Amino acid sequence: MSREQYQIPTGGSQQAFGGASGSRDFASESLGVMFYTCGDCAVRVPLEKGAPIRCQKCGARVLYKERTKRMVQFEAR
Amino acid sequence: MKPPSAAELERRKIVSINAETVTDVTSTDYPGHYPGEDHVWDLETFRSGLRIEFHKNEPLEASFSVIGVDASIANAFRRIMIADVPTLAIETVFINNNTSVIQDEVLAHRLGLIPFKGGREGLHTFLKWKKKPAEGTDDNNLFDYNTVMLSLNVECTHNEDAAEGETDPNKLYRHASVYARDIVYEPIGRQGQYFSGDDIIAPVNPDILIAKLRPGQCIDLTMHMHKGVGSDHAKFSPVATASYRLLPTIDILKPILGPDAEKFARCFPRGVIALDKVTRQEAAQEGSGYEGHEGELKAVVADPMRDTVSRECLRHAEFEDKVKLGRRRDHFIYLIESSGQWDSDAIFLESIAHFKEKARKIEQQVINMVR
Amino acid sequence: MAPKSKSTKETVEDAGVEDVSMSEAPTSHQPNVEDDASMIDEGVEKEQEYDEEEEPEEEPQRVKLLPGSTPTAASFEFIDEGHTLGNALRYVIMKNPDVEFCAYAIPHPSEPKMNIRIQTWEGITAIQALEKGLKDLQELSDVVTEKFLAAKKDYAERVASA
Repeated sequence: MSREQYQIPTGGSQQAFGGASGSRDFASESLGVMFYTCGDCAVRVPLEKGAPIRCQKCGARVLYKERTKRMVQFEAR
Repeated sequence: MKPPSAAELERRKIVSINAETVTDVTSTDYPGHYPGEDHVWDLETFRSGLRIEFHKNEPLEASFSVIGVDASIANAFRRIMIADVPTLAIETVFINNNTSVIQDEVLAHRLGLIPFKGGREGLHTFLKWKKKPAEGTDDNNLFDYNTVMLSLNVECTHNEDAAEGETDPNKLYRHASVYARDIVYEPIGRQGQYFSGDDIIAPVNPDILIAKLRPGQCIDLTMHMHKGVGSDHAKFSPVATASYRLLPTIDILKPILGPDAEKFARCFPRGVIALDKVTRQEAAQEGSGYEGHEGELKAVVADPMRDTVSRECLRHAEFEDKVKLGRRRDHFIYLIESSGQWDSDAIFLESIAHFKEKARKIEQQVINMVR
Repeated sequence: MAPKSKSTKETVEDAGVEDVSMSEAPTSHQPNVEDDASMIDEGVEKEQEYDEEEEPEEEPQRVKLLPGSTPTAASFEFIDEGHTLGNALRYVIMKNPDVEFCAYAIPHPSEPKMNIRIQTWEGITAIQALEKGLKDLQELSDVVTEKFLAAKKDYAERVASA
């Protein structure tokens, strides 16, 4: 199962596959804003570093992290 | 020494199937086994003794008999069909986004198992093998002649036009079920020449369900296909399965008449045993067992190939010494079920070619060894 | 860097005649033929000169003579071979009248090794018997192919006329 382990994509090595593919959320990257999903109302909540952890809409304090935007490679085995 | 009679030669070809045992299994046609007889390998004797007859020949299923060959050779062909005939299948999956409930690795595994079909010339002649890169190094060995690119990009959304109170998810949402037909082939380089129109690389069965989605979930991935063999991973096997069975034989030693004959016929699948009327001439023959039974039904073997050898008739006392079951040791009825990429008969031909190539390579190795 | 397009010798063989055009199926030691037009993957273009690899030089020695063998009684070890070749070879070598004994074994299923022992009477050496067996197998394959193609054609005609 070692093949499915996450390989840290360096800038150059995955260039063929990861280079242009995968949507880069440029807005979040440059501002440092990450989106999380609220546990109760399922709305996407933007959160900055150091900001209090609450959902804007419903006030719930359980937020889930979104799936990574990075491309992941698997062997179909 | 007298040469063996025809009956004796027939007897040697049969594997006996008894109520609890199977006897006379191994072949005995070796020089020296029967003193005075010649069983030396001779190509012309083999050629004249070999017979092949087709029963069915469709692209996805072929059934034929090979008669006159030994089990070791027949089995070699079968093993090569399953394990050594190359096929194209999805090998690498690059997942850009997968928010479905199917885990990435499970999805990748399912995609690998989907059988694809494509233009024959492109698949067999144009596409070549791709060597696996050494552990840890980058893979810069991808060319149009060894890799096929596919993509799958599906997002599930609400269906505004669904009726109120609708419960079927396929009607309530768009793309709630992701099927193999949603996979898109992306031709690269010279592949367009070989795989276009009818020859396009497409799944054999477009209705294979890959995943189920709900609104807001999406699957966005790219796939690379490579050539491989079944011995490496079962997804590369060109056959759903390839198997053979030996032709069953049923010998009725003593006449089975009347209601016994009907019961006997019911012990076998329909069509194996036919019921004929005893003729006056047969009844007239002394010692045949038919005396006085003219006009009655007697059991006669009609089509042994349909028999599944369940040995049901051996379970009943009334047939105890009247029937002998067996199988012909040199009559192989092959059933080749292709998964769609190759034609079934082409797979057999490829397996023979592969076998010959195997022998040739080893011959070369033996010559090297001697040097 | 614009991709260069060298003219390659067209590898299109006159395969249109029969269904099966590959007589010699390439196995995994197929040499990578020199080709241009590298795959354009996600916008990154690659350009590589590809030298033709020498096939036989690379292949490791897969047949070995085991110790304790004499000219007429020898054991061989085959790497990466199993029952497929072993049983078939054994059968065809046993049909050789000069062979006194022939048997094959797979020492352990987790290792891809196969041993064959051949003992011959006076006439030939064990290695000659092995070579003859391999040659016989190749001839056998040719006969089976020939008969199979004839049977296939015959069946197609039978179906067409019915």
